[in-house]
Amino acid sequence: MTKNEIYPKMNEAIVAGDREAARALAEDAVRSGLDLLEVVEQGYVPGIQKVGELWERGEYFLPELISSAEAMKAAMAVLDPALNRQNLGARIGGKVVIGTIEGDIHDIGKNLVASMLQAGGFEVFDLGADVKLERFIDKAEEVGAGMICLSALLTTTMMNQRRFIALLRDRGLRDKYKVLVGGAPANRKWAEEIGADGYAENAVAAVKLAKSFAGRP
Amino acid sequence: MTASLLDLVKTRTVLFDGAMGTELMARGLGPGVPPELWNAERPDAVREVYAAYYEAGADIVSTNSFGGTPLKLAAHGLDGRALELNRAAARLAREAAPAGRYVAGSMGPTGKFLTPQGPATEADLVAAYAEQARGLADGGVDVFIIETQYDLREALAAIRGARSVSPLPVFVTLTFNSFPRGYFTLMGDSVARSVAELEKAGAAAVGANCTLTSEQMVGCVIAIKTATSLPVIAQANAGQPVALADGTIGYSQTLEDYVRFVPAIVSAGAGFVGGCCGTNPDTIRAMVRVIRGEEKI
Repeated sequence: MTKNEIYPKMNEAIVAGDREAARALAEDAVRSGLDLLEVVEQGYVPGIQKVGELWERGEYFLPELISSAEAMKAAMAVLDPALNRQNLGARIGGKVVIGTIEGDIHDIGKNLVASMLQAGGFEVFDLGADVKLERFIDKAEEVGAGMICLSALLTTTMMNQRRFIALLRDRGLRDKYKVLVGGAPANRKWAEEIGADGYAENAVAAVKLAKSFAGRP
Repeated sequence: MTASLLDLVKTRTVLFDGAMGTELMARGLGPGVPPELWNAERPDAVREVYAAYYEAGADIVSTNSFGGTPLKLAAHGLDGRALELNRAAARLAREAAPAGRYVAGSMGPTGKFLTPQGPATEADLVAAYAEQARGLADGGVDVFIIETQYDLREALAAIRGARSVSPLPVFVTLTFNSFPRGYFTLMGDSVARSVAELEKAGAAAVGANCTLTSEQMVGCVIAIKTATSLPVIAQANAGQPVALADGTIGYSQTLEDYVRFVPAIVSAGAGFVGGCCGTNPDTIRAMVRVIRGEEKI
């Protein structure tokens, strides 16, 4: 298939959440010797962007979002090793450390944001739920992340987002990382008040925000 | 002999309670501690919250068991105590309930997604809710309220679980978001489809709670009422949480603003009315006044 034929199919596979098709098309692209960075950016990424738009319009809901993110992951599982062989990283978004903050075991929203960030081309280090504040920093330092995403579902544990920023400041690392906050009780005003770099209302908005920090369209 | 709630709601608006977790926090429940644990460790505090809601005029108080399925308790290593903690939640409410008032056994989401989105099977969920329902029934609840459900399939599994162990009536509230095309759960279940399926599965009353403000709840109740002849339940949030200047958390709707929409919720067709996040005994007291005022008219 030529890229004019295959890109729309890749796009469709993501929008339809068709994991098998997404993977098969990626294998096809590798075999055909297509420019794999272009395959990612013009074949698959527009699909996940379309999914984001459908979600924002209330046409797509969580099951569709998860299926599409899974399809994206299936394609990237094929493309990543091939790109690495060519010494081209597709994870051009950079590295992100994410987790639900200490005291809070809710992880549905966080998992979705992690999934969508990964689908959006970020290398994601998901620390899980009830993550100690120090662990976010240690992990970010260890892997050389540029962004730290903190989730909190409870009004009580949301306070730990504020404590995290203070801890980052105490350790002299505040300017080293972009800190994004999310979760049901958080909002833009809260992010501003605690001195976070950004707030996203949902997984789709989180990807947009993360991309804007990474200087990507 | 207390009349059945389903008979009572035919004669007047029936009042539920408001939020539980924040009331326990006000009494010292720390972050990371599951509220259900207090049914065993701080029974006086739990009973006190129940009593405050009855005293405010609530006809029905929901038990402190929202996160009480064994699947949810497992995150705290407490799944082995599900039966005990649910039974205690119900017993304490029964003790606090004045004659002629009711206890609803609260059953919130397990937090696990069903396949293919997550690892849980329907059988897992049915079993988890069955165990919780057994504890609540043992403790003496009058009805079950399966609440704040964001996945219709989980709500249906919860009904099956409850019905497998008890003949008590099952109430169900889903949490809907407002979209230009109407009201949908997180998983994309519409009001019409949800209500039809819940009714078919044997729910005795259906409705909406959480997420929506009291203003938004009016439209949602209209949509639910259009789709069913069952009694309708409405328990709105007092808006969204906001950080206050003193470092504490408040909610975006003031008490006055919240209560202002209660008459519209009732006239839209809600027979059971109560509060959710951001509401407290004062809210319920104010709602009782508004609703009683209406009844004189």
